[in-house]
Amino acid sequence: MSLSFTMSKPLRDYTNSLRDWSVAQIRPHAREADTRHSFPENWAEILDTSPVPLGRHDKGGLDPVPEFEDGHWVSKLSFYEAISYGDLWGLFAIGGGIGHLVVDAMGSPWQVEKWYQPVVEGGSVTGFALTEPHFGSDTSQVATTATRDGDGWVLNGTKIFCSNGANAEYVVVFATVDKSLGAKGINAFVVPKGTPGFVVGKVNEHKMGIRSWNTSELLFDNCRIPEENVLGWSEGEIKPRSSGQGGALGALGYNRPNIAAMSVGVTQASLDLTTGLLDEQKAGFSPHRWSLVQNELTAMNHVLARSRRVALKAQALLDGGKPDRSAAAVAKAYAPQSCERIIRRCMQLLGPEGTSEELLLEKWYRDVKIMDIFEGSGQIQRIIVGRGLMGRVVG
Amino acid sequence: MVNLEPAPEQLEVAELARELGVEVLAPAAREAEAARAVPENVWKTLFATGLTVPVPEELGGSGIGDTATLMIALENLAYGDPGITLAAFSSGAAALLLARHGGSDHAALVRSLITEPGTRAAVALYEPQGRGASEFATTIEVTGDEVRVRGRKVAVAFGAEADPLIVVGVEQSAGGVRAVLVPRTAPGLTVTPHGGSLALEAMAPATVAFDTAVPVSNLLDASGLLNTIGRIRLAVAAIAVGTGQRAVDYAAQYATERVAFGRPIASFQGVSFPLAEAQMRMAESRLEIAESAARLDDDAAEDVSRAVGYAGEVAAEATRAAVQTLGGHGFIAEHPVELWYRSAAALSTLDFDPVCSSFQAAL
Repeated sequence: MSLSFTMSKPLRDYTNSLRDWSVAQIRPHAREADTRHSFPENWAEILDTSPVPLGRHDKGGLDPVPEFEDGHWVSKLSFYEAISYGDLWGLFAIGGGIGHLVVDAMGSPWQVEKWYQPVVEGGSVTGFALTEPHFGSDTSQVATTATRDGDGWVLNGTKIFCSNGANAEYVVVFATVDKSLGAKGINAFVVPKGTPGFVVGKVNEHKMGIRSWNTSELLFDNCRIPEENVLGWSEGEIKPRSSGQGGALGALGYNRPNIAAMSVGVTQASLDLTTGLLDEQKAGFSPHRWSLVQNELTAMNHVLARSRRVALKAQALLDGGKPDRSAAAVAKAYAPQSCERIIRRCMQLLGPEGTSEELLLEKWYRDVKIMDIFEGSGQIQRIIVGRGLMGRVVG
Repeated sequence: MVNLEPAPEQLEVAELARELGVEVLAPAAREAEAARAVPENVWKTLFATGLTVPVPEELGGSGIGDTATLMIALENLAYGDPGITLAAFSSGAAALLLARHGGSDHAALVRSLITEPGTRAAVALYEPQGRGASEFATTIEVTGDEVRVRGRKVAVAFGAEADPLIVVGVEQSAGGVRAVLVPRTAPGLTVTPHGGSLALEAMAPATVAFDTAVPVSNLLDASGLLNTIGRIRLAVAAIAVGTGQRAVDYAAQYATERVAFGRPIASFQGVSFPLAEAQMRMAESRLEIAESAARLDDDAAEDVSRAVGYAGEVAAEATRAAVQTLGGHGFIAEHPVELWYRSAAALSTLDFDPVCSSFQAAL
């Protein structure tokens, strides 16, 4: 089969519907989601208006995203970009967190049965609590302790930036059983909502962007959990139970190109909005200035096309059974940083009014910044690419 | 003769401004943003120093007389907070224009702008889509004993209350840039407050549309006007560099304290190089601003667009490097870095000119 960068017609039809819907139904609530630091009150009703399935977490498996011949992960890219084109809050409302995916990846069969199945079937939300105030990228620094107490464990510590932490059915908490073991001493513990000693410190951090996405601070104060709630953990990496789709690697490493796709979605929206506004005022430009503006818009569209290609490459490899951490890192590092610049340039081309809350550009500029930080910062992605490269050189 | 050594008076100004910035402006930054106004006590303190009202003694003031020193003052104030600095300078810029180009009719107004902290004037200068002074669409035409002002200006400070507004536009019949004093009470002013923006809220910016006529005595002297406008525009560059410098200093400090993989993250080149590169660009930008300022002070022809555009990018990228250094902590309001990141971006949109800068991808 010859090379092709074109999605199949069924996938294009599906994502075109998604995109139009997101513009019509998600975008009008974007400002509200930002201002109230939460989804719109009637978020579920808003999602109900979608003409195509969304894979909503709250539908408990009754709203599956269709599978396309393009491949599961490649299709996901289009999905993420299409929804993000309306506004990112829609995407966050559809997703249900990743705690249960960690259970699926690391848990024993009965743990999966107890904690994974009910979540995907019942449509609840789960959390993943790894980051602490004093570390992010260096996960070996987990300071939350798990101390033996008879046939159970007692957790003590603070977790931050935990997505959905405050409203999760349970949170998978990473804690060390023995600090002298470093990363090897870190285990994952399922902590259900309401467990005594599990306290929500902050429901949602005051963030610069993606404000509607709950990012909680969680406190564990002599929080006792039974032995059966311990999942496996080693070498600072989550070991997937199987190498199939889904699983914790899917939630973490495999998700990185999706983040590139989210950046591209918001940024394409910014660029299209800006192009439209400038076009309306074309008469006010001198021909020289107008041609410069057009060059700018063209250059920015090319950058988005490059971003899409690197993300596509990473996920095509994944779908082909040859996951490549470097390829995923390229996508994750390339797109967000350039997208920041594009949205900023859009605001610059429009002038100060471009930064006004009357438009969404200023919000998208704040939102897109996180894409180069979470799920492995740009610096970490460079380390991954560099290691791949040097490893090859050194042999 | 080359002389890049700041004069002792300039060093004093830098020190005073830095101290004010850090001790008075910075603690008020969040409050000013939320209230969309500079807190009264901060305004008064700043006003009393004269740092942001650049009307020199020979023109009846007690402020800074030269552009080079003014840029030093503004950069160091912005090191504390760009939003408050820009707000304060917005009124000072009106005083500067009036003092340098007004007639005897305007002396009393200049006096009050210099001595009364309660006064707020503003210059209606910027137009959307990066139209520089030579391409302003706002027209100022003299017919008989009246001046017709038509156009639309953005980012007018204190749009809802500034009085008077000094409108800058083009006199098409004569082909030159003019400035005219428009009282707030003039008919035909439509003020639309921006109603929330990415940043720089302390100056409560508005879009103001003009279709009005004022007496010809309101017209300011056009001689050397572009020079004065250049000074006002260049201020944005200095404020941007101050913002970027603060962010980089903060991030550098953080990097020396934050430990990951067994050592302070400052020891990783992936962390230190972006900050070092930001520092390099700011050093370049500061010199570019200084040279522009020196030329303006010599009354040489000087287009500040390039210096302003460069400083805007430099500051935006410097604050970005700072956010990136703090990671998730750079993204939450507990640290001021996100405020600087937003502020630098907003500053870069004020006076952007696509003629001076073409888009470059980050990678």
